[in-house]
Amino acid sequence: MKLLVIEDDRAAAAYLVKGLRESGYGVDHAADGEDGLHMALEGCYDALIVDRMLPKRDGLSLISALRGAGVNTPVLILSALGGVDDRVRGLTAGGDDYLVKPYAFSELLARLNALLRRLRPEQQRTLLKVGDLELDCLKRRVTRAGQPIPLQPREFRLLEYLMRQAGQVVTRTMLLESVWDYHFDPQTSVIDVQISRLRSKIDKGFAKPLLHTVRGAGYSLHEPD
Amino acid sequence: MNRIRLFRTTAFRLSLLYACLYSLVAAAGLGFIYWSTASHIETQVDARLQLETGVLLDQYRDQALPALAEAIRQRNRDDGQRKIFFYRLLGTTIAELPSALRAPDQPRVFANLRLREVFPLNQPRYGGDEPVRVLATYLPNGQVLVVGRDLNDERQLLDHTLSVVVGVTMLTFCLVILGSATQGYQTLRRIDAVSRTAGEIIAGDLARRIPITARDDEFDLLGRNLNAMLARIEELLVGMRQVTDNIAHDLRSPLNRLRNRLEVTLLEARGAEEYRTVLAQTIADADALLNTFNALLNIAQIEAGACRNEWTELDLGALTGELAELYEAVAEEGGITWRYSAEPAIHIQGDRQLLAQAVSNLLDNAVKYTPAGGRIELTVSRIDQRPTLSVADTGPGIPAEDRERVLERFVRLDNARSQPGNGLGLSLVKAVAKLHRAKLVLEDNQPGLRVSLRF
Repeated sequence: MKLLVIEDDRAAAAYLVKGLRESGYGVDHAADGEDGLHMALEGCYDALIVDRMLPKRDGLSLISALRGAGVNTPVLILSALGGVDDRVRGLTAGGDDYLVKPYAFSELLARLNALLRRLRPEQQRTLLKVGDLELDCLKRRVTRAGQPIPLQPREFRLLEYLMRQAGQVVTRTMLLESVWDYHFDPQTSVIDVQISRLRSKIDKGFAKPLLHTVRGAGYSLHEPD
Repeated sequence: MNRIRLFRTTAFRLSLLYACLYSLVAAAGLGFIYWSTASHIETQVDARLQLETGVLLDQYRDQALPALAEAIRQRNRDDGQRKIFFYRLLGTTIAELPSALRAPDQPRVFANLRLREVFPLNQPRYGGDEPVRVLATYLPNGQVLVVGRDLNDERQLLDHTLSVVVGVTMLTFCLVILGSATQGYQTLRRIDAVSRTAGEIIAGDLARRIPITARDDEFDLLGRNLNAMLARIEELLVGMRQVTDNIAHDLRSPLNRLRNRLEVTLLEARGAEEYRTVLAQTIADADALLNTFNALLNIAQIEAGACRNEWTELDLGALTGELAELYEAVAEEGGITWRYSAEPAIHIQGDRQLLAQAVSNLLDNAVKYTPAGGRIELTVSRIDQRPTLSVADTGPGIPAEDRERVLERFVRLDNARSQPGNGLGLSLVKAVAKLHRAKLVLEDNQPGLRVSLRF
């Protein structure tokens, strides 16, 4: 997996590149909008991480130019502007996700993984499987080891999201954004409670738990190693 | 200086223009009266002249020339009184006639002349310069009968009228100019009050306001609007100052704590596990700091009211339903009874994210402070036609005297200090309520707290 980081703050970029390399990605770096655009157009990247405010050409115009040239590489926008309309503007310019600075590196990693997965063909599937857990998007049915599991509509969406990101870490913020469309973090552990309810429905009574808590980061749905 | 500025005021210039216009209208009106009076007098005089001439011609026709001459002599006779009509019979030669009367092809001619040009009256009571209106009639024998009428009185009347016309016009002009000067001065005084206030505000006294008079005129309206604007600006500035003060005071101590822990950890060599623990703690602290920081900025942004473009029509039932789903589970985990009711089809205009966040903050508080066995109620209803959203709990509640204070930033009551939180939750609710022009009411739920947003 090859990534391009377009970020003008040298310290932030160095830290980001180091973290991403340690996480197993190949990373290139561009320090301004013009260089970034050329590299993104010429190189073959799996995803771009673009700072919104860049010298020479700002992040949003870079993304628009990229999309205009027919390049559909997923883009994660980093920005210090955290208003809801800033986010909307970022996404309409062609960004695929929007992360507000300051962010936790684990959050960035989780979102990046989600972005990279979104492009894979299996994301279009309507029948999802993790171990013996199956989810049928069309029939809106969930079974584990052939046993039907009744779920509330929201629980179904939560499980569907987790299954599409199977094997990856999903943060609480990502769940709030994707499943509830909330762009704020409640102080109470509402997500934890939702997850524990879901867990009791899909894991209770089965030898192998599928829904795991990742300390300090979030949750992950996968077969136990 | 003030006089020059007075002349420059719009009020004065406009008034000057109006003064000129009014004077013109007055002059035109009075001028017309003058002109019509003059022409009326002329018609009257001409009629009288024709009448006089007619009487004499009748005598001439009945009794021939000598009788006419006698009649003229009789009438011209000096009886010691000033005469109005003058008569003369002129000879056959055209040359004797004043040029104005020479028109032998017409039976009669009117003319305005001086008395002496036609009537050689050697009487001291006539100067000879008196204006006369003259009717000359050609008799069949070639002689010319001239009857004149003294126009002195009429001329005097007209002269008098003319001076009235000029006088009234000038008076109008002067009065309007005087009025404009007063008007301009008044305007200037009111404007001066505004600019003086502006000057004082520029100099740093933000509390200054434009004086409002009891007149309730357009200046007072302007003043009131400007004052409202100034109040809003001051409010924003105070808000900004509060944010910076908050950052200075309330973020400094946790930052200091964080720094101290790192410093103490570095004092001695420790095992990798201990470093790991301290670093994890530090990250958690940094996250808490960032949360506080973001919450502060968020509140400031909402208070600035800059984010209206996300507004849509919202169904309060749908909005709270989603949150109810989340918090019902949390309440049940904590052994708290959960009640949720929402009347259908209650719509408001608003920002879904902000309102959800505000309600979420209220529910966070309710969950935090309600002991197991208690009850939380989330209700959406219409109270007095107003869409109302309320969160009620059976926790310790907030004493009446603190209900205003807890809405301020970083204010946490003593019994709340044991609970996690940054003291910004209700501040955000307050800001969101204000943005949506909703009334935020904290009441006693007997026992517990009931917080209502009345839209």
